[in-house]
Amino acid sequence: MRIHLQVRPILAALRSHRTAVALLVLEIALTMAVLGNLVFIVYGTIQRSHVPTGVVESDIGLIQSIGVIGESNPGTVAGNLATLRSAPGVADSAYGGLPLWWSNRKSLFLDPSLQHPAAQAYEFQGSQHLSTTLGMHVVRGRNFSDGDLPDVMDVFMKKTTAPLPALLTQALAQRLYPGGGALGRILYDGRYAFRVIGIVDHLRGEITGRADDDEALLVEYRVGAQDMGGGYLVRSRPGQLPQALKAAAAALQKANPGHVENKVLTMAELRENYFRSDLAAGRMLVAIMLILLVVTALGVSGLASFWVQQRRRQIGMRRALGATRRDILLYFQAENFLIVSGGVLLGVAFAYGLNLFLMHRFELAHLPVHYLVAGAIALWLLGQLAVLGPALRAAAVPPVVATRSV
Amino acid sequence: MFGYYFDLAWRSLKRTPILTGLMVLAIGLGIGASMTMLTVLHVMDADPLPGRSAHLFRPYLDPVPLRGNWGLGPDPSINLTWPDAMALLHARKGRYQAAMAGTSLVVTPAQDGVRPFTADGRTTTRDFFAMFGLQFIEGAAWSAAQDDDAAAVVVVARSFAQRLFGTAQVVGQVVSMGGHEFRVIGVVEDWAPRPMFYVDASAKRYAGADAFFMPLSTGVSLNLGTNGNQSGWADYNNLRSPTVTWLQFWVELDTPAAVADYRRFLHDYAASQKAAGRFQRPASTARLYGLMGWLGVQHIVPGDVSMQAGLALVFFGVCLLNVVALLLAKYLRRSGEVSVRRALGARRRNIFVQFSIESALIGLLGGAVGLAVAELGLWSVRQRPDDYAHLARMDLPMLATALVASVIASVVAGVLPAWRAASMTPAMQLKSQ
Repeated sequence: MRIHLQVRPILAALRSHRTAVALLVLEIALTMAVLGNLVFIVYGTIQRSHVPTGVVESDIGLIQSIGVIGESNPGTVAGNLATLRSAPGVADSAYGGLPLWWSNRKSLFLDPSLQHPAAQAYEFQGSQHLSTTLGMHVVRGRNFSDGDLPDVMDVFMKKTTAPLPALLTQALAQRLYPGGGALGRILYDGRYAFRVIGIVDHLRGEITGRADDDEALLVEYRVGAQDMGGGYLVRSRPGQLPQALKAAAAALQKANPGHVENKVLTMAELRENYFRSDLAAGRMLVAIMLILLVVTALGVSGLASFWVQQRRRQIGMRRALGATRRDILLYFQAENFLIVSGGVLLGVAFAYGLNLFLMHRFELAHLPVHYLVAGAIALWLLGQLAVLGPALRAAAVPPVVATRSV
Repeated sequence: MFGYYFDLAWRSLKRTPILTGLMVLAIGLGIGASMTMLTVLHVMDADPLPGRSAHLFRPYLDPVPLRGNWGLGPDPSINLTWPDAMALLHARKGRYQAAMAGTSLVVTPAQDGVRPFTADGRTTTRDFFAMFGLQFIEGAAWSAAQDDDAAAVVVVARSFAQRLFGTAQVVGQVVSMGGHEFRVIGVVEDWAPRPMFYVDASAKRYAGADAFFMPLSTGVSLNLGTNGNQSGWADYNNLRSPTVTWLQFWVELDTPAAVADYRRFLHDYAASQKAAGRFQRPASTARLYGLMGWLGVQHIVPGDVSMQAGLALVFFGVCLLNVVALLLAKYLRRSGEVSVRRALGARRRNIFVQFSIESALIGLLGGAVGLAVAELGLWSVRQRPDDYAHLARMDLPMLATALVASVIASVVAGVLPAWRAASMTPAMQLKSQ
């Protein structure tokens, strides 16, 4: 007997269990809706945690150092940077902002009247050598040269009115000047004016998953005899970061005993901290997902067991009338397939409904269709696995049952 | 009667251990997952100052110009400007009122061998202690005169005193913070309400605590700055500017009449500022929030927590559907027993009650499993790096909620199966036997 011949008797049999079938279909549909969206969320988080920031992450370390006013502090920023640079294994160093740690998000304007913001961008500021320490990759225009850097005090006190030279990312240049020709243009953030001297490929301030993560602007100023606390960045020679960062922090502490080094972190540690919470939440979601699958499988299996027991006599009769064990097995598997298919169809609607709600409340992206296909296949397999035990028990019912009463 | 049904239920459950186990497990997992996330929400939404919170209010004013560039930063109007905070403070319309801001300072211990470290504290005005109910171990708050004179005095928390001096008896000692010397005039018990309702939006509300307190005027005149949001639309770096918001403000109002009076006062103040041309927005934007209401508008529960709570509830729904299906199978299977009881005179209602008690018993067992699952879930939440994670513990009300919710849910899940079982026609069933 072939499966398609069994479909009509199966449907007829299911009609007399309408309530139970409806419950099972509903359960599978909800499972599918939750499963599809959860996998999508968790996979998105994992993918996001691997997006590069655009700096040479494997070689960059951060020393957050805060000066104590009134302490005998011989250090100056320029002196500190020189100290860091002379530590063994250190290739370059700078004072300033670092992706995933500190950058300002500002509105940018194309004209000084500041009427209509043209973009929101991450603004990285720092000392000379910031772009080389970060390992910026200039694709058009040029990098900073010592000659064009303004003095830090002139910048902070707003004594200088000349636009500050700045690097833009490609993404930001594209957003501000879709027609091209960003080089040499002037833009404003409400406090300073900037002149675009070069375009870098990537620099992400944060990794939120939004398209504008990569829209950033980088400004350098010249520091000298000031005593400034904040982020001291170290770029090591390739592969030497752990030793170089340790040596640099020790050298800085020795030169500047009055400084408090709150944090000494590699970029890898910074990234791990940045994503730790999201990944922990992701693990929780995976756990909920697995338990959900187990519960659904148990439900399917429990109901199938009940049906098998209820139909022992019918099964015996069919066997006595010539049905093989295989026919009985196939019958229950086909029945399960039909029920799960009903659940999957309803589940597509539920999944999209849940997705719409999550998009509205939590800025989730649109659920791609292949997640639903994968969810459907997973549920079909799960259903077949869950029904296998009861179906095998059904197939083992001997024909003689038909002749016994009860 | 109840005892008899209970006995019947217990026998019935023992007869089908696997099916019963499945249902108990389904309820347990559903209750466990939901209670884990609801407990997290419960601790995040908790009342930080039970008994006091109903009398604490947060005035809101909106001095922000109609046009401005705020980027993606917080709304500048969630904090107050110096002139507005001082006007509210000096009006003395409440029983107590205080302006405040967070600050981080490098502390240089006088003892040798203790390295400088940064500590978080608060610059505020003297009513802070009485209004929020901080307990002094030694000394007292600064005086109104010291508030006016920007006195170099500090009140420290017990643990901070211990860390600096190795003892809590430190009144009269001098502490060097941020490059300035402060005389200790009081020591308070460590105090960290959860959530820290009075802080700026950028603070860690579930992990932070104030190590020290000093007069706001001192912080401003020494330019100690704030570690919270400081937003301005002109004259950015001047903390006394009417165009820079950075201060929080709380007032204690003990009667409904005082609250109504304060609302009127706040409205009139905003109207007078609008008339003077300083505020561009209508006076109706001025508001007075209660403590819990303020936490509500601040959206302190992160999106991922409420999303997980929602998912846990959907998950619970799936588990319940499962239980309905299994109960249906279980009860309908007992058509013979039901028919005999009906034939011997039991009414439909009796059958329904009997099965409902059986459902409730399953719920009770499921609730017990659920508590174990929830404990496991909360343990995993506590391993998270978020600032609220360490608070995720089950308290007695949540424990009771779990059990009651479990029993109610399974009785509800059992309504349809029990009704179907009760409405079977006994004659048909008896005949077929």
